[in-house]
Amino acid sequence: AGVLLSAQSTFGQAIMASSQEVSSSPQKGTRSLKTILTELGTTYQVNIMYEESQISGKYLAYPLPKQPKVERALDLVLRDLGLKYKKVDDGVYAILPVRKEAKKVPVLPTPSSQSSVEPRPESTLRALDVAVNGVVNDDKGVGIPGVSVLLKGGTQGTTTNADGAFSLTLPDANGTLVFSSIGFETLEVPLIGRSSLTVQLRPDVKALSEVVVVGYGTQKKVNVTGSVATVDEKFLANRPLTNSEQALQGILGVYVNQPTAQPGADGANIRIRGLGTLGSNDPLVLVDGIAYSLRDINPNDIESISVLKDAASAAIYGNRAANGVILIKTKSGQKGKLKVDYNNYVGFQRVTYLPDAVFNSVEYMEGKNRALANEGKQPEYSQATIDEFRNNPNNPEVYPNTNWFDVLFSRAPMQEHNLRFSGGSDRTTFSISAGYLNQQGILMGSDARKYSIGSSITSEVSKRLKMGLNLSGTYWDRNESVIGNDYLMNQIYRVLPTQPTLMSDGRYADTWVRTPGHNLFRNPIALATEGSNNNATMRMLANLFAEYRLPFDLTYKVNVAINYFNGIQSRFVPLVTKFEPKSGVTTPIDFNGMPRSAYRAQNGEMNLTMFHTLNYQKQLGAHQLGGLLGYSAESFYNSNFNAYREGYFGNELTELNAGSLNPQVNGGSGRNRLLSYFGRLNYNYLEKYLLEFNFRNDGSSRFAAGNRWGFFPSVSAGWRLSEEEFLKNVAAVSNLKLRASWGRLGNQEISAFSFVNAVSIGRGLDYTFNNQIAAGAAVNSFSDPNISWETTTITNLGLDAGLFSNKLNLELEWYEKLTSGILQGVTIPDQIGKLDGPVQNVGDVRNRGIELTITHRSKLGKEFEYNAGFNVAYNRNEVTNLGGQVLYGSNTITQEGSPIRSYYLLEAEGIFQNEEEIKAHAFQNNATKPGDIKYRDVDGNGIIDNNDRVITGRSFPEYTYSFTLGANYKGFDFSTLFNGIANVDTYVTHNYAQPYNNGAGVTREWLTDSWTPENPNARLPRLTTATGYPQNFQNSTFWLQDISYLRLKNIQLGYTLPTALTQRVGISRARVYVNGQNVLTFSDYTLTDPERGKLYGTLFEYPSAKTYTAGLSITF
Amino acid sequence: CQESYLDLKPTDRYTEQNFWQNEEHALAGLNGTYRALTDDFLYGSDSPFLLEALSPNAYNYGNTKGFNIIAKGNHDANNSSVINNRWGSNYRGIGRANNLLANLGPIPMDEALKKRIRGEALFLRALFYFDLLNLYGGVPLILDRPLLEQGTYPRNSADEIRTQILKDLDEAAASLPLSFTGANKGRATKGAALALKARVLLYHQQWAAAAEAAKAVMDQGTHQLFPDYRGLFYLENEGNAEVVFDVQFKFPEVGNSYDINFQLYENSVPLPDLVNAYLMTDGKSITESPLYDPAKPYENRDPRLKATIITPGSQFAGAPVTATTFVQTGFSQKKYSVYKDDVKPVELLTSGKSELNFMYIRYADVLLMYAEAKNEASGPDASVYEALNKIRTRAKMPPVAEGLSKEQLRQVIRHERRIELAGESLYYHDIRRWKIAENVMNTNLYNHRNQVIDSRVFNASRDYLWPIPSVAIQNNPVLAQNPGYGK
Repeated sequence: AGVLLSAQSTFGQAIMASSQEVSSSPQKGTRSLKTILTELGTTYQVNIMYEESQISGKYLAYPLPKQPKVERALDLVLRDLGLKYKKVDDGVYAILPVRKEAKKVPVLPTPSSQSSVEPRPESTLRALDVAVNGVVNDDKGVGIPGVSVLLKGGTQGTTTNADGAFSLTLPDANGTLVFSSIGFETLEVPLIGRSSLTVQLRPDVKALSEVVVVGYGTQKKVNVTGSVATVDEKFLANRPLTNSEQALQGILGVYVNQPTAQPGADGANIRIRGLGTLGSNDPLVLVDGIAYSLRDINPNDIESISVLKDAASAAIYGNRAANGVILIKTKSGQKGKLKVDYNNYVGFQRVTYLPDAVFNSVEYMEGKNRALANEGKQPEYSQATIDEFRNNPNNPEVYPNTNWFDVLFSRAPMQEHNLRFSGGSDRTTFSISAGYLNQQGILMGSDARKYSIGSSITSEVSKRLKMGLNLSGTYWDRNESVIGNDYLMNQIYRVLPTQPTLMSDGRYADTWVRTPGHNLFRNPIALATEGSNNNATMRMLANLFAEYRLPFDLTYKVNVAINYFNGIQSRFVPLVTKFEPKSGVTTPIDFNGMPRSAYRAQNGEMNLTMFHTLNYQKQLGAHQLGGLLGYSAESFYNSNFNAYREGYFGNELTELNAGSLNPQVNGGSGRNRLLSYFGRLNYNYLEKYLLEFNFRNDGSSRFAAGNRWGFFPSVSAGWRLSEEEFLKNVAAVSNLKLRASWGRLGNQEISAFSFVNAVSIGRGLDYTFNNQIAAGAAVNSFSDPNISWETTTITNLGLDAGLFSNKLNLELEWYEKLTSGILQGVTIPDQIGKLDGPVQNVGDVRNRGIELTITHRSKLGKEFEYNAGFNVAYNRNEVTNLGGQVLYGSNTITQEGSPIRSYYLLEAEGIFQNEEEIKAHAFQNNATKPGDIKYRDVDGNGIIDNNDRVITGRSFPEYTYSFTLGANYKGFDFSTLFNGIANVDTYVTHNYAQPYNNGAGVTREWLTDSWTPENPNARLPRLTTATGYPQNFQNSTFWLQDISYLRLKNIQLGYTLPTALTQRVGISRARVYVNGQNVLTFSDYTLTDPERGKLYGTLFEYPSAKTYTAGLSITF
Repeated sequence: CQESYLDLKPTDRYTEQNFWQNEEHALAGLNGTYRALTDDFLYGSDSPFLLEALSPNAYNYGNTKGFNIIAKGNHDANNSSVINNRWGSNYRGIGRANNLLANLGPIPMDEALKKRIRGEALFLRALFYFDLLNLYGGVPLILDRPLLEQGTYPRNSADEIRTQILKDLDEAAASLPLSFTGANKGRATKGAALALKARVLLYHQQWAAAAEAAKAVMDQGTHQLFPDYRGLFYLENEGNAEVVFDVQFKFPEVGNSYDINFQLYENSVPLPDLVNAYLMTDGKSITESPLYDPAKPYENRDPRLKATIITPGSQFAGAPVTATTFVQTGFSQKKYSVYKDDVKPVELLTSGKSELNFMYIRYADVLLMYAEAKNEASGPDASVYEALNKIRTRAKMPPVAEGLSKEQLRQVIRHERRIELAGESLYYHDIRRWKIAENVMNTNLYNHRNQVIDSRVFNASRDYLWPIPSVAIQNNPVLAQNPGYGK
């Protein structure tokens, strides 16, 4: 006996009409019944099961007449053989065994039905025990060892031996066996009274039959010729993702940087294949085909994510695809009974890194005096003051040693809940979901709540017409410091240990110690908690589509979508005082210069998208042809409006109308439009040779007439070597494909009307004569009327291999990305009216890279499954042409032959040890002393100046990599995700990055490891204040820091409760898990979290967090 | 249809295609040019007083905006933010004036008003160029509307810049009215153009011409000294007859940070060297006068001392000033603070909230310029004494001793200038044009207790001019550097 399931899901050979003849031996013009059944399975996309003995030795005339339905075809084939079939399930047919008692065959158990398993009396069970044996083969007829064979709903089970054979004893021959193995699709086989089976397992669809979302449609992954990275919901499941941008972390070739853990503002920067341009490098994000904000889609609503990395995949989105395209498919319902999913997690976050600040007042003051003495200045803190602190360690109101980090950062709880109902009838499917996230901030005074709803309804209105509507809405309610969290962080990195927190009666305490440069003590507890600063944002996507099947294999589809955003910021700055206990003086706390006032701002967006596509799919024998033509119009509208008032009598009433003085109002709006025509043509022969063309013609309102149209074509080809005869029988090779693509993409991400000189008007240009306001106007920036599209040409070569029944998968990509006519805001000399420079098409950049992914999944013993994955992406960036220009940043340079924004710094060559060394060295400064940094005289002219700068370091990582390890044992599952970046530097300045910066504090290392004559080998130069002695803090390689890191991004342990247990309470699946995020980090850079957003600049960023959560997911 | 769908025009701003059409546009362009004066590195924020901290009059302990590093002689072409930025701040004003001048011609409007607007724009352009000339020497001379190719121009000579400034000022003087009233008060007048011309000529030692220009202002009869020296700087007396040209501030539209600078930040605090320079009420110095009591060093002094400087032991803003109120030198600047000695303010005006106008040129300066130029040109005469004694009288100080030689009078005039105009952003220019910076700047600095707090170096072969900013040379390598500086 045997069962065969046809695997191929495309098309079989056309079956021609013919008369029906039956024979028992092969003759000319006949085929074996087995072959015919296999072909029927292929043709009609169904599985046909049979017992080998019933069909062997039967031959039929071939070809057979074509039939519209599989039932008719089976009738035709089986009629004269005296065989019958039964439809077991959707798409599953069983040839019934011919037995005398055939009529008494019990009702067949429905494989998918849980309720068919009924307990029976023990005695009956024993009496009917039967032995079942068989063989499990792969699609090449080779036995598969280690396949798990289990009786569905029962306890009996076994594993196949080295030849793929198995045997087990069952209560009867009417149950269903479940065959499962890594790398193969799980198969359920009803025994239907048989005691001997040959089972053929299909290679895992995930590897071969997986459908991926591509531009304006879907495609079988095996047929994809471009470079597309995908993840599914399993990858995303149960990670505490507060933001969908974080979901991309760990995807090959995608650099995701999550710089902060600020609730409601913890989005990530996403870079696909390096920096292609000098402007925005953000990829285009499309949710169900519509441009949308990734942050505002609930991670729990995501079914799959496709990242289109090369031009061939992305060219159909030509106009905004140059930085890559991220396609999000949201979850939809499945036909069948109602399914309810609930999942949640609760946990807490802790800050990862903070500078090692000195929080002992005496150490801080003595250090400051030492720094000033090194500059030849008087001490700021008298010995009397220092002694007062030393002798009063237990008086924190007057003589504090405040550890401000302990005061302001704490463990913060978070929780999330998601609920989904999904299901569908024959014609209509639906999915409705709701989510709730509540995240408290690790920084005092910050928190956020997110409420999201989603709904997806699709209905086959008629045989030809399908319609659907996806709705999704996210509401964020976020609170932060009244002065904004960035400025609060600035203040937190500025407060001193000598400054007190609260009086014992709860009043804000003030300091009596004067610190020049830091004259205004802004008590950060008040800054963090007083007043209010709330951001309430609502984003909604309504996406309506209709699809109509036309004659001649054509399908017409229209999508209309509204992407609506409304954000309201409400801020109230209070008047709060602080009390200085020594003098008894009470003074107001400064909120960044803002008086007691109310501010309310509204930002709106209304983006409309409409696109029409006409799709053609045709199979002609071994040839498959597909085509797509489309038209799209998109309109983007944004508006803002804000109002402000002062003159409040107290802190109680915070609305605009409760204030009376200095009312201010501002408002404006902007508009952009895009108009596009696009198309695709693809062809394959036997799914062996694949070819695809794409084009898009785009018009953008961001360019002047005459420069606004761009044409973006692409071509790609694939060759599936594994389908060739010479590889078909190589058992080790399950899949092998070569891909090549070339294409061109566009970028128009510049602000609107960059092509025309604007005359600005407004408050910043007004002047007052005799205390009366006089309206002013001025041109503030220079414009280039000739700007046009920036184009990116990408060549991509790829190799996909699946080895050993796809237990080992390998993907290798090489690409070259040439961006030309880069749009860049150019700095022009100040002499030209100190205008902001124009946006111009300035030059060309080349990115070359290699990406490698290796995944391995296998099994040890019977129940221990494991998987391991590794990927690494290398990208090298070089400016190839800037028309001879050089673009300078404050400490960076962009010029031909170097990476974009390379650091451009004086080259430090150690520390001066004595006066003789200074005299012998090129002149640096009058003030140079031993202990100062020595800079190399690169041009050898005896003087150190800007001409001695060298290009060094990288502001973007050359390597990004990640690896995963996971395992399952019985109900337990375990997974880890490590990721890291390498060959990347950061340059930080300002408070705590530099010592005593304008009255700020100092990190411990400066007090213990800075140069003195006694400590000549110190790491740091002599201790000075950063502001008072800038010589050592000039932009130099001394302060360039390697910010490579490796981090255990995620670790998760879960346990799925036994189904037998959960089913008793009506739960089909229940899993509990614990999860850790950012658990371990390895990096030389420890000043703040290495996954920082600003690779150069200050440290003033809301810190990152380690997150530990525990959760539950239940399916009813 | 395709193209019209994509043809959009900005709705929240004008473009150069639809601006410069009428009188209101022209006036708005002019007002925007005035606004460039309030730049943080020019006359806004606390910059006028930080410039004073480059002279022996004041001290900037925290190297705010990179000023102290200049005072210490440790500056280079790259390490001082004011050197990097003041260049562009002036060119911003020049660019706005140039754009207005280039577009003004065809605008259909009242020709008299057009002439006046042109005069004001020329005055402002001259003012901005003069600051560049003073600090950097010759700079690229740009008179056309902003164009990309201007970024490649080399430096013009100092003489070429000066010639253009004087030409602009002459035309401005010929175009501008003697005075304005109402909502126009504060615009550049004929007197302002002439007074600035006098300053330009004075700085270039063109004594006779300078005296003539100053005299022209004096002869106009439009300006006179305000009777009360301290009251001259009160908010309620803004726009009095002593003001020749001021940069106007008004909170909340256009504020400065003068008060918080003086009261809290102490970014520019008077030095004992200045305090000690104030004469006794008998007209003698503290070393010569019997009135001086070291125990009460601030008594019986030129009244301008207490009008200009907050001293320990005095009362200010309704509170006693102790020896530790101002931690840097013990002193702070009173002139240009809106607070009065005996009135306690509701709250300290924080950054951007002070609104006292900054007098760019006042009539006392015109008198002093006249005295100096006349004395240098033709020696002491009655008109020189008259000008000086007007100032002495207003200050309630005895008149200048008669019968002094030209050289003696030169010292008196220089001293009077230092005292009368202390804290007004002029002394740094004076010590450089008098070529005495290397004598007065190579010194230690002291606080009021005579403790050394810092030291300064002035390299006479280099520091009389600022370096051309590295960034400017980087963007336009044809710009030659000033002697002694790297690139």
